[in-house]
Amino acid sequence: MAKESTTIDVGEPSTITKSSSHVVVDEKKKKGFVAAAAGGGYKRGLAIFDFLLRLAAIGITIGASSVMFTAEETLPFFTQFLQFQAGYDDFPTFQFFVISIAIVASYLVLSLPFSIVSIVRPLAVVPRLILLISDTVVLTLTTAAAAAAAAIVYLAHNGNANTNWLPICQQFGDFCQATSTAVVAASISVVFFVLLIVISAIALKRH
Amino acid sequence: MKSGQAEIVETSKAIQKSGLMSRRNAILEFILRIVAFFNTITSAILMATTNETLPFFAQFIRFHAEYSDLPALTFFVIANAVVSGYLILSLPLAFVHIVKSKTQNSRVLLIILDVAMLGLLTAGASSAAAIVYLAHKGNNNTNWFSICQQFNSFCERISGSLIGSFVAVFLLILLILLSAIALSRRH
Repeated sequence: MAKESTTIDVGEPSTITKSSSHVVVDEKKKKGFVAAAAGGGYKRGLAIFDFLLRLAAIGITIGASSVMFTAEETLPFFTQFLQFQAGYDDFPTFQFFVISIAIVASYLVLSLPFSIVSIVRPLAVVPRLILLISDTVVLTLTTAAAAAAAAIVYLAHNGNANTNWLPICQQFGDFCQATSTAVVAASISVVFFVLLIVISAIALKRH
Repeated sequence: MKSGQAEIVETSKAIQKSGLMSRRNAILEFILRIVAFFNTITSAILMATTNETLPFFAQFIRFHAEYSDLPALTFFVIANAVVSGYLILSLPLAFVHIVKSKTQNSRVLLIILDVAMLGLLTAGASSAAAIVYLAHKGNNNTNWFSICQQFNSFCERISGSLIGSFVAVFLLILLILLSAIALSRRH
């Protein structure tokens, strides 16, 4: 009588399987953590650059606003009733420039805490998004002020023969120099804002 | 087992919802680009075709005004034309975002280009606005007299073209916001 034998395949002990599976999970976790840390590092670098750009922009905007605000020139000759004087408040566009750039400088100071939060928590999305939206609006304000002032400064330098608007910079040379400097500074701050928005956009990218 | 299935269903629903939301955003972006294009091209054409000749003239002088007499208005026309060209060229990329909602690099590229165009358009509109204000009001301190008392219809048309341009500026800001929100959304 032939014996029926059944062979039972016994696999590896369950403990080994469990431990190996745990090892795999741990490895995955480690890899994920390393990737996140790497992403965080590169985003932290961007956040630090953002902070430094903001500091530079604060200096430039305060400079532009104060230079335009203090731009004034009085000609050495005068008549019995008239004294020839030029100040920023003689031009509504320059008044708009001073107010706008002062607002922009204030905004930049108030945005510094958000920038610091982005350095401390590089993967946080909300501060970045808030900064990007605010920067876009403020970029528009800065560009508007700088461009409007630039148009008037150009007119003051060159005049316009078609409309009989004569150049005034032949008389008020120092005043024109100061206003031109302020416009150039504001234009540099526009470039800084563009860079800030680009940095925020890159930092918002998911990995 | 049931709870696991329910979790999977909920997750898939959430993914579908977020996908639908991003597609809606992309469609809105596409429409906004078309509207902004029409605004900028209309502003450019309106400014470029503006001219007025006064009915009286001297022996050698004929009083005539057009946009090219003022450099700021020339810059305005060029800026609006460039931005309208860009908006048309960006439409295929915006269409890609409707079809493939998870694209990221193209979104970043669009944000960068949109910001550059926003700067250009704002500069053009603002410099033109400063000159138009001067044409309307003049400036007594510098003896720059108002020209809008003579060239009335010319001034009306250039003022009208500014409105379209500033609307386009607002639309570009909205486009940047939409792109930023789409970038920040987690899938």
